[in-house]
Amino acid sequence: MFTLFTAMVIVNGCSENDLELVNPNGLSPETFFKTEAQVQSAVNAAYANLQTRGLYSRHMFFSQDNMSHENDGNPQLEADKRQYLDFSFDSSHGPIADYWESCFRGINKANFVIGNEEAINAIEESLVSNAVKQKFIGEARFLRALYNFLLVTRFGDMPLITEIPTTTEGIAKSSADEVYALIISDLQSASATLLDKSEEANGRATKGAAIALLGKVYLFRGEHALALAEFNKLSGYTLEPNFFDNFTEETEHGVESIFEIEYDDALGTSAQWNSSVTGAGPNEATFRGQEYGFNDWFNVFPSDDLLDEYEAGDTRYADTFYSVGDTFGGGVVTADMLTAGDERRAGWKKYQNYYKDANEDQESGINFNYLRYADVLLMKAECENEVGTQDDAIDLINEVRERASLDDLPYGLSKAAVFEAIVHERKVELAGEQVRYNDILRWNLTSTELAGTNFQTGKSELWPIPDREITSNENLSAADQNPGY
Amino acid sequence: MTKLKIMFIAIIAMLGQFAYSQTTTVTGVVSDETGAPLPGASVVVSGTTNGTQTDFDGNFTLANVPSNGSLNISYIGYVTQQVSINGQSSVTASMQIDAQALDEVIVVGYGAQSRAAVTGAISSVKSEDLNAVPVANATEALQGRAAGVSVVNTGAPGTEPSITIRGLGTFGNNSPLFVVDGVIVGNLSGINQNDIETINVLKDASTTAVYGAQGSNGVILVTTKKGKSGKTQLSFNAHTGFQQNTQRYDVLNTEQYLQYANEAFGVVPNTPSSASGVNTNWQDEIYTTGLIRSYDLAASGGSETSNFRISGGYFEREGIIIETGFQRYSFRANSDFTFGKLKLGQNFSVNFNKQNSDRIEFGQRSLLEHAIKAAPYLSVYNPNNLGGFQGPNSAGDGQDAENPVRLLKHGNAVNNTFALVGNIFAEYAIIDGLKFKSQVGLDYYKGTSNNFVPSYNDDSLGGTHQQTFASITKNTSAGQTLIFTNSLTYNKTIADVHNFEALLLAEKFDSQGTSLNANSRNSVSDEINELSNEDSSLESTSFEYNRLGFLGRLNYNYDDKYIAAVSLRRDASSKFGANNRWGWFSSYALGWNIAKENFMVDTNVSTLKLRGSLGYSGNDRISNYLYSATLVNDFLYPIAGSNAVGTTAFGLANPDLKWEETRQLNVGIDLGFDNDKFTAALEYYENQSDDLLIRVPTSTSLGINEGSQVRNVGAVETTGFELSLGYNDYEGDFKWSANLNLSTSSNEAISLGGVDELNGGGFENQNITRVTEGESLFHFFGLVTDGIYQNQAEVDAVFTANPGQTTVQPGDIRFKDLNNDGDITSEDRDIIGNPLPDLTYGLNLSADYKNWDFNMFWTGIYGRDLYNTNIYDLEGMPRLFNAGVAVLDRWTPTNPSTTVPRAGGAPQNIQLSDRFVEDGSFSRLKNLTIGYTLPSDAFGQELFSKFRIYVSGQNLITITDYSGLDPEVGSGDLFEYGIDRGAYPQPKTYLMGLQVSF
Repeated sequence: MFTLFTAMVIVNGCSENDLELVNPNGLSPETFFKTEAQVQSAVNAAYANLQTRGLYSRHMFFSQDNMSHENDGNPQLEADKRQYLDFSFDSSHGPIADYWESCFRGINKANFVIGNEEAINAIEESLVSNAVKQKFIGEARFLRALYNFLLVTRFGDMPLITEIPTTTEGIAKSSADEVYALIISDLQSASATLLDKSEEANGRATKGAAIALLGKVYLFRGEHALALAEFNKLSGYTLEPNFFDNFTEETEHGVESIFEIEYDDALGTSAQWNSSVTGAGPNEATFRGQEYGFNDWFNVFPSDDLLDEYEAGDTRYADTFYSVGDTFGGGVVTADMLTAGDERRAGWKKYQNYYKDANEDQESGINFNYLRYADVLLMKAECENEVGTQDDAIDLINEVRERASLDDLPYGLSKAAVFEAIVHERKVELAGEQVRYNDILRWNLTSTELAGTNFQTGKSELWPIPDREITSNENLSAADQNPGY
Repeated sequence: MTKLKIMFIAIIAMLGQFAYSQTTTVTGVVSDETGAPLPGASVVVSGTTNGTQTDFDGNFTLANVPSNGSLNISYIGYVTQQVSINGQSSVTASMQIDAQALDEVIVVGYGAQSRAAVTGAISSVKSEDLNAVPVANATEALQGRAAGVSVVNTGAPGTEPSITIRGLGTFGNNSPLFVVDGVIVGNLSGINQNDIETINVLKDASTTAVYGAQGSNGVILVTTKKGKSGKTQLSFNAHTGFQQNTQRYDVLNTEQYLQYANEAFGVVPNTPSSASGVNTNWQDEIYTTGLIRSYDLAASGGSETSNFRISGGYFEREGIIIETGFQRYSFRANSDFTFGKLKLGQNFSVNFNKQNSDRIEFGQRSLLEHAIKAAPYLSVYNPNNLGGFQGPNSAGDGQDAENPVRLLKHGNAVNNTFALVGNIFAEYAIIDGLKFKSQVGLDYYKGTSNNFVPSYNDDSLGGTHQQTFASITKNTSAGQTLIFTNSLTYNKTIADVHNFEALLLAEKFDSQGTSLNANSRNSVSDEINELSNEDSSLESTSFEYNRLGFLGRLNYNYDDKYIAAVSLRRDASSKFGANNRWGWFSSYALGWNIAKENFMVDTNVSTLKLRGSLGYSGNDRISNYLYSATLVNDFLYPIAGSNAVGTTAFGLANPDLKWEETRQLNVGIDLGFDNDKFTAALEYYENQSDDLLIRVPTSTSLGINEGSQVRNVGAVETTGFELSLGYNDYEGDFKWSANLNLSTSSNEAISLGGVDELNGGGFENQNITRVTEGESLFHFFGLVTDGIYQNQAEVDAVFTANPGQTTVQPGDIRFKDLNNDGDITSEDRDIIGNPLPDLTYGLNLSADYKNWDFNMFWTGIYGRDLYNTNIYDLEGMPRLFNAGVAVLDRWTPTNPSTTVPRAGGAPQNIQLSDRFVEDGSFSRLKNLTIGYTLPSDAFGQELFSKFRIYVSGQNLITITDYSGLDPEVGSGDLFEYGIDRGAYPQPKTYLMGLQVSF
């Protein structure tokens, strides 16, 4: 009987090898980082998280433009986006968790490059030159700094992830100062190895982008001298002669452009709705046009406070907004600004496709400017006002004003007056570019600029750490929640 | 040793021959109870091996029969007769059908057992019950038929229902193992239920542990109909009828919508359609009456040495949502042949299924949501728009809602599947009682799924919903599983009372599959439903999955009174990490047939059995290759005008990954009185699952692309009772029976391995469903409502820690501040509902009077909550859409409603809360049938052996408090189990049918 059973086993041809299978659908990490294409591909992945719905595809513009009250909401604005207007979001807010996770996934992808520096450096010099290797590492460091900066400005103290995870154990919070320290060192290192804009492919991080971002970070830290030193290193950039060219699809990456968030609706959109955090799949378009478009979903409109800020004769008004009676869509349609019964004073023109199309769809290919030279000029003016001379600051402000056909500010203004001029100029120049909310916070102007908005001092400065993080991270508890949430 | 014994027995038998010398030749005829000849019946001289078989006319001739001896006449399915010769040379025997014998053999895993020797928990469902309801999938018909089996059906034709056995034992896949004629298959969609003889549901470890790492969710064991020796029988079954759903949500008409828009949102719709005067009831536009029909033809027959049954069927069901439907062609051939000690056989079925789906993918808005929210003044069709449909123009029209008729009608979506399931086996009787069996099982499938959407623009004046190109999607998948099973069984009875049955088995399971997903666009033509290079995307994947198992089982009983059974299985699976590839699974069972004890003989108790079992089985339902680390390269980012492809690490490897293990304890008592006219069975079970595979969310800040890691960390305890009661009166002109089964189940998550909670069931950016330690699985978690704020003082009384807030105002919903922190936040959430029922029941009533037959079948569940997201659409009033009539009674300063909040309102109003939770209990008349059987001589001569006509209805009555279209909601994804997102409702069905046999 035993013999028979043994025979049976043999008949079955039982082989342990049949149980040792290799996944045919994916590469193995052990055999990666052997070619330039592979290193480049690992770097590319880190960019893709900028295009999630939690970040620039959908919620970045809603959250920043609504919290800054450059926007007001039409009745059809959905609840989660309305909560940005009245600061009523809490730790269960889905898109805030998406923002958090999108950034951290970007950081992990950057760490996948930085953490494999040894393997990358082990590639033969004949296959990949040392400069190219260091450039790749620089791109990853730039992106890690960018994602960390997006996080620390919204959440304050946060987990600082510097390595490729080897276990599932979560990481406790680090102080915002420690996060800034890493951001600064990453950007210093990146600015040394990245290529100049003229040498690099459009869309990738450049030396100029790293320098400008480093200056911006110093400015956020109140380190005006250090910031000014960085801004002074910047060369090769100038203002677009035509302001509106910063916001059309055909004129992207112009002379003013320092770093853009890339979109191109011709490159695929099928994963647009699926990618709230992953950045995976073709999601190469943003919902911005459809969401803001006054002839389309018209969920938000420019607030009276913003519209009233413009001086008479400021040509940027007509480049930033459409008013009732304007023609658009290549000059064939007249704007009525009607939404659900109410007529609005204006609708957004900046970042809309109405300059060429009568209707938006969910697939806008217009890039977002993350950093452009006008922003740098005004930040530099801020530094000059603090550590240089007021007149130098006024020169910089005037450079921006001149393009808008406005009169120069006179020399000899007080420091306070120059500061006020900068606050004004940034508000109108950078309207709807996700810059103002950070400005208000770092200037400590919430009590005046956000008066009457339900902004709660001592709470609303920071977003709540998402429930998703608190429940999934054993080293972070409800006690670590930001104040007031 | 064994061989020696056999020789000894043979010698004794031969000696026996010599003991009688006075012999004669006997002729005779054997017939069945109707007098029809029985060919192939066995006629043997009692106590000898001298025997023969009846010929085609039932005649036999047998020489060397002792004139004072007797003949043993036997035929499968009939009571064996002993006929004394008493010197006669001619005998006649009329055989009686052995009803009990048919019942007594229960098919179990890798074998069969007599009912008396069963120690485990097994529920049997017979073909007549499976065929009482017109279904495309036998799983649907199991609903309410067996205690402990929970089936949730859907109205969508051709969609697999969800089925669980004995509640939930895992956070993951709770689907049982399906075994058809010994072949493990993925589901029953490839089997025509008309071909099924019985379905046995194996529920406890003593029956499931033989399936080792796959058994812990229970096993659905399907036995298909086989030919029986006797005259060839032809049978034809047909039914036809229609289905409809008349239930609707009451939504605003055009006049009400315009008024509501103005008063609630200050909106005066002035879009191109708003003054059209049209009044569309969108629900009426998508729901329709569907036809149903089914034809089955089968021929079966055989002799003592060979049997066959072949059948073919056609089933068609139009959906009650326009454009949806299901068609199936099925073919089956089963046969077996005996050559002395060798028996060969095969069972194969081929199925072609075609499904037209409702084209809504998970995560998209449901058709019902569109139908509720679409403005009533929009017309369905507009020939001036590209595509011919009308949709919203802008916000005044409630622009999120798409035209649901366009979603269904524009283009087409077809899923075709082909399935080949079957086996070939050979069985050899080595010596008396010892059999070797070798079987190859095959499960092959090929599926294609095509989706074609031509270009459209739902409003030529500038609509929200448009597509400027035709989109073409073609996905295919194919796969095969081969299962090689070799086994030895040995049956032995010693001293007439010690009955042994042993099984040794080795099984090898090889599975592989591929899939190819492709889509492209066509901006030039809407005519061509084929792929091209325009904006195309391609992806293919493949997998391989192998298993290996060895099984030993020993059953012993003493005179059918005292029963003991043990089994031991060793399994290995390629799905697990190298550190944990092999495991042991065992079971132990005891039984005591008290009714067979001498002291019970004179009582009215016909059955009294105690049984108990304990054992361990596993669950390996996880994705392939999870233990290994891989890279993903599906990240894209535009660089210099083209997509740069990004690659990164997918997740963390887990080489320790292994199966889940469930310890199952079962005790049961079977009772029968008055020759089993009354029966009762009560079972109690206690299952504890450990090492549960949980996709543990990795801390989001780690940024791991997989977002989670599958680990063996969880534990769940499930307990429950099952009660079956029956009364069967089979005598006289009026026969009737009543059978009731009830089951309860409760569960608790004992451990999540350090994870605070698992969340799923996303809705409006939040998760409805939660699993957390110490609580019932998959409960709803949200805020608790406490009326509506009628004035500012009431608001201020709650928001004491946040007094400046202006978001929440009078007219908004008051939520309970459960943590008493003076603010309403996500910290105030609590358990607000449990989607898993406390009690499930089925009640079957049958009666026959002369030629009439009647059947009524009720099923229901109690103690179940549903999260109805349609309420959000009907009463949420987040923005302007069409809504339910309840919004007309919303809170306003002049109408201080206490049930419906103000329009727009605070975002908290529409956060997850018990506002959207309803009692989902229901009782449903699942089937009602009245039939009439014509007497076989109805047309003067015998044209047929059976001719029955019937009318029946399904789901005719549903008793429920649930406000939705259908309380029967449930998806295979347990995080979605109790969430009604506008599910495809089940129709009422009206049928007439015909059954004829020749």
